[in-house]
Amino acid sequence: MSTILVGISPGIQKIREIIDLVSLDTALNVVITGETGVGKEVVARALYESSPRHKKEFVKVNCAAIPDTLLESELFGVEQGAYTGANRKRKGKFELADGGVLFLDEIGDMSFHLQAKLLHVLQSGEYNRLGSENNMKSNTWVISATNHNLKQKIEEKEFREDLYYRLNMVRINIPPLRERPEDIPELIRHYTQIYQDKYTERKITPLDPETFNKLCHFSWPGNVRQLISVLQRILLIGCDEETLDEILYDKNNQNKNATDTATPIYGQLMEELQEIVNSSPDNMTTFSLKQIKRNATNIVEKEVISQVLDITNWNRTHASKILKVSYKTLLTKIDQLDIIRSN
Amino acid sequence: MTSKANILIIDDNTVFLDMIAMYLTDKQYHVLPAKNGIEGLKLFNSHSDIIDLVITDIIMPNISGTALISIIKKKRPALPVIAISGFGEHPITLAEELKADLTMGKPLVLRELESQIALLLPPPSVSTV
Repeated sequence: MSTILVGISPGIQKIREIIDLVSLDTALNVVITGETGVGKEVVARALYESSPRHKKEFVKVNCAAIPDTLLESELFGVEQGAYTGANRKRKGKFELADGGVLFLDEIGDMSFHLQAKLLHVLQSGEYNRLGSENNMKSNTWVISATNHNLKQKIEEKEFREDLYYRLNMVRINIPPLRERPEDIPELIRHYTQIYQDKYTERKITPLDPETFNKLCHFSWPGNVRQLISVLQRILLIGCDEETLDEILYDKNNQNKNATDTATPIYGQLMEELQEIVNSSPDNMTTFSLKQIKRNATNIVEKEVISQVLDITNWNRTHASKILKVSYKTLLTKIDQLDIIRSN
Repeated sequence: MTSKANILIIDDNTVFLDMIAMYLTDKQYHVLPAKNGIEGLKLFNSHSDIIDLVITDIIMPNISGTALISIIKKKRPALPVIAISGFGEHPITLAEELKADLTMGKPLVLRELESQIALLLPPPSVSTV
């Protein structure tokens, strides 16, 4: 049990209470709501770790980061020969999360087409791999998260009402940090301790009272994620008062921009980056700049090729001309990057 | 003498909750009122053995009526549950799927609710003094 919900505010206490009440019954679908950066995944992991499913996998899918054309195969898997280039069977996330938890982040961004497929799985407990007629049994606890107002999306005909009620058996709303400033001191102490434990060779000292006070009185538009990022910067790199003001001011703007202009590719690249940042120094040695560059290129190439294929209605000759690559290179890329045609 | 049946009522609309609670108390039932799903689940967990019937609203924040029905029916499959909603067909369909014994739309006719409770409750136990 490693996930800790940090905070003393009534909002966080209520979340702990809900987790205690519902985590033993993993038949209840859960939706976690809250602004970007409040810690929706932390709550999902806390639910998972309190549940009888904690010995199995916690599988995360970011529905906004993966193009709709790929999300279906990501979720349900692919049978060998399902489409040109599908030369091997691939398990989907439902299968990988069997007996565990499937965390569907940014569920509000899922297409109407996939919402219908998800509803079917939740209703029947069955799904099919892409290109297969065989029904597979789903034994997965579905926990979803969104920063969208799903009720509004229903009114705008962008989210299915029947799926909404089915997912909303339990709803956990995480208040933004500005509404629970009493949690900030504990968050600072908690993450300072984490960095002290993680970087033992660096002698990380706690914040001086003035900086501590400044962070406690900031509004944190990017919520806990922004607080951690700033704290990391101060503790690991260090900064004077002037630089801290610049960081807070810039972060303020950056966060706003990131939320406004977030694209699926941006989200996926940020996830890759976050993974690296969250790694311990020992594990970081396994990352090379070359590998990072290759991963980033793959993500961008996959997105661009998928979009061009969609535009050309999967006319690969036409697509290869637009992309200015040979027909053979395009086919290789489609295979290597697991690009799948949506139905 | 006959013992009073214990009814757990859960509704986040306190006006509605008070109205049903008063009506059923007047009809000689013992009522356990809860003003949201969290309170309702806690009351159920602490009084599980003595509750004879549950009436729950379906659409509530945090822990919904459908979550309550699922938990209650797993713990006590034979305990009668009446699910109430004023939000159209989807919540009602889901409650039925989760084996609610009866679903009713809002606004409620209290006399009809009372007659349905009488049908769902087991015959009163008779004890001699």
